[in-house]
Amino acid sequence: MKILTILLRIEWLKAAKRRIFWVAIGAFGLFTAIRAVIGIYMASTIPDVDFTLPERWPDILGAVSGFGPLFTAILMILLFAPEFSWRTARQNIIDGLSKEQFFTGKVILLAGLVLLFMAVAVLIGVSSTIFSPGESGSAIFRPNDLSYMGGIALGMLIYGSFGLVLSTYLRSSGSALGVLFLYIIVEGIIPLLTLRMGSRTLRDAMEFLPFKVVENLGDNLAYYPAELLEMNPMRPELDLVPLGSPDIGIHVIVALAYIVVLLGLSLLNLRKRDL
Amino acid sequence: MNNLSQNTPDTDLQDQASTSVDVIQTLDLTKRYGMRAKKSVLAVDRISFAVKKGQVFGFLGPNGSGKTITIGMLVGIIMPTGGSFRLFGNSDSRGLNAARARVGATLETPNFYPYMSGRDNLRIVAAIKGVNRSRIEECLALVGLSRRAKHRFKTYSQGMKQRLALAAAMLNDPELIVLDEPSNGLDPQGIREIREIIHTLAKRGKTIFLSSHLLVEVERTCSHVAIIRDGRIIKWGPVAEMVGEGNAVLLRSEDIEVLAGAMEAYPDATSVRRTDDGIVVALDSGDLANVTRYLSERGIYLSLLAPHQPSLEEVFIDVTGDTTDSMTGLAA
Ligand SMILES: Nc1ncnc2c1ncn2[C@@H]1O[C@H](COP(=O)(O)OP(=O)(O)OP(=O)(O)O)[C@@H](O)[C@H]1O
Ligand SMILES: [Mg+2]
Repeated sequence: MKILTILLRIEWLKAAKRRIFWVAIGAFGLFTAIRAVIGIYMASTIPDVDFTLPERWPDILGAVSGFGPLFTAILMILLFAPEFSWRTARQNIIDGLSKEQFFTGKVILLAGLVLLFMAVAVLIGVSSTIFSPGESGSAIFRPNDLSYMGGIALGMLIYGSFGLVLSTYLRSSGSALGVLFLYIIVEGIIPLLTLRMGSRTLRDAMEFLPFKVVENLGDNLAYYPAELLEMNPMRPELDLVPLGSPDIGIHVIVALAYIVVLLGLSLLNLRKRDL
Repeated sequence: MNNLSQNTPDTDLQDQASTSVDVIQTLDLTKRYGMRAKKSVLAVDRISFAVKKGQVFGFLGPNGSGKTITIGMLVGIIMPTGGSFRLFGNSDSRGLNAARARVGATLETPNFYPYMSGRDNLRIVAAIKGVNRSRIEECLALVGLSRRAKHRFKTYSQGMKQRLALAAAMLNDPELIVLDEPSNGLDPQGIREIREIIHTLAKRGKTIFLSSHLLVEVERTCSHVAIIRDGRIIKWGPVAEMVGEGNAVLLRSEDIEVLAGAMEAYPDATSVRRTDDGIVVALDSGDLANVTRYLSERGIYLSLLAPHQPSLEEVFIDVTGDTTDSMTGLAA
């Protein structure tokens, strides 16, 4: 237990002194705030629309689910990969951390980043209602809001683990970022290719590609069935097929599996290679 | 420079007990890069040596001889491909991890977070080593960095970086200090200061293992030396013994060339070397009467005959057959 506190302290010291860390947090906050400001603006101009919590969590969190995971991966790479070119990873081991402890420090960093981003989103969401017209009687969070946050956090963890694994394998932030973006593009293309092949199971499987899982976990309709029920009756009139929502239960299991595999791979790589 | 002595000196009894265990011991330690026979590099080739408590052990070799790789294996960042080693008697990974808490080490270049101040960098090392903050200031003062400690590492000069690395290595007051080319990038004043620090540490009973490609540095600081070349240890032992080995004499006469020619033909001479003030002859036996008789029979009369203590440089040339200029240069 004591070692975990020490590792947290070390990672905090490392991150807190980096400008990019604060820039990323700031940019994340700004993006979240933009969504809130739009909400407030609409509430003040359109008569029937309110901007109140918890009703507007799906909007605010929906925005976070869009850029949050990518933010986590990029920041993870920027904070971790340079430790190889600076040779501080090497020095940390020389100074007395075991490779496993060093790795655990990075997992703590990842968890910390996700918590921090979530905290920023919640903080901005809550404080934005101060400026908005309309009063909501109920509590700030409903159970669905909390599970939505959990789903987004899982998505961030997948992306972050991806950043972690790329950092350990490539040992340079430039190439790690390059491969990250390349992979995002490739994952976008694969389903298009399988679309033409027509096999149904194959297409279903596409739903479980890592970043597709993140996308599905960030789909707010999955957490708010009431909205789905509200929207679907109108759709046939507009000639649209009814909206479905991904099965969150399965996605959570798949997400956890991805995280375990990614983290496991990077621990193996770290153990096996000289520093 | 002198506030090193914060610990009570070890009792004699403890000293006796711990000398029985070597601080470092390697047995056929090997590192090979590349698996395919053609392309593979044998960076370290079956190295065996032992460092005992209290020794200042020099690891001397030219560039690319395998010094850094050997140290890397000892400090746990490079996996050996053959052989084994012990630190404080431990060879299993658990024991080694524990043993490393008693070691302070630098490897190759000083490795720090460039965006952090020297002091903040030491805070990280201190957190890893479980050392409290007052010790950070102590070590900064010791290496003469107190005044610049608040500046960012990347703004430091090479010498300052090197000093910070030394401070970091000493932070937990370790029993064994391993330094990879500690005087790299330092000016003569800096080199002298490092040497003083090493002497002070040695006086307090610390074991020091330092690598260097500079003969003078090793000769001036070390009690023991291992000479490494192309990944192999050619010779190792106490410096005093190495330079005291053999019977060498310095001879001078009117005509040095004639003298040298005669001595080259002398059956007991193993080598003849011209120096600035005469010739140095290595003899199989110490029979000097025979030498003077032999020379006078040839009409050569000596103006000087003196025992000669070879420098480590000469030993080095002797065992390796040649020398690189980079090895002998620099005098601080
Ligand atoms: N990753 C690697 N792959 C292949 N060969 C390597 C690798 N690292 C080191 N070597 C080789 O191992 C040998 C020993 O290198 P090492 O760094 O230990 O030398 P050194 O004695 O420390 O030299 P210097 O005085 O220049 O620091 C060199 O020939 C080097 O080219
Ligand atoms: Mg080296």
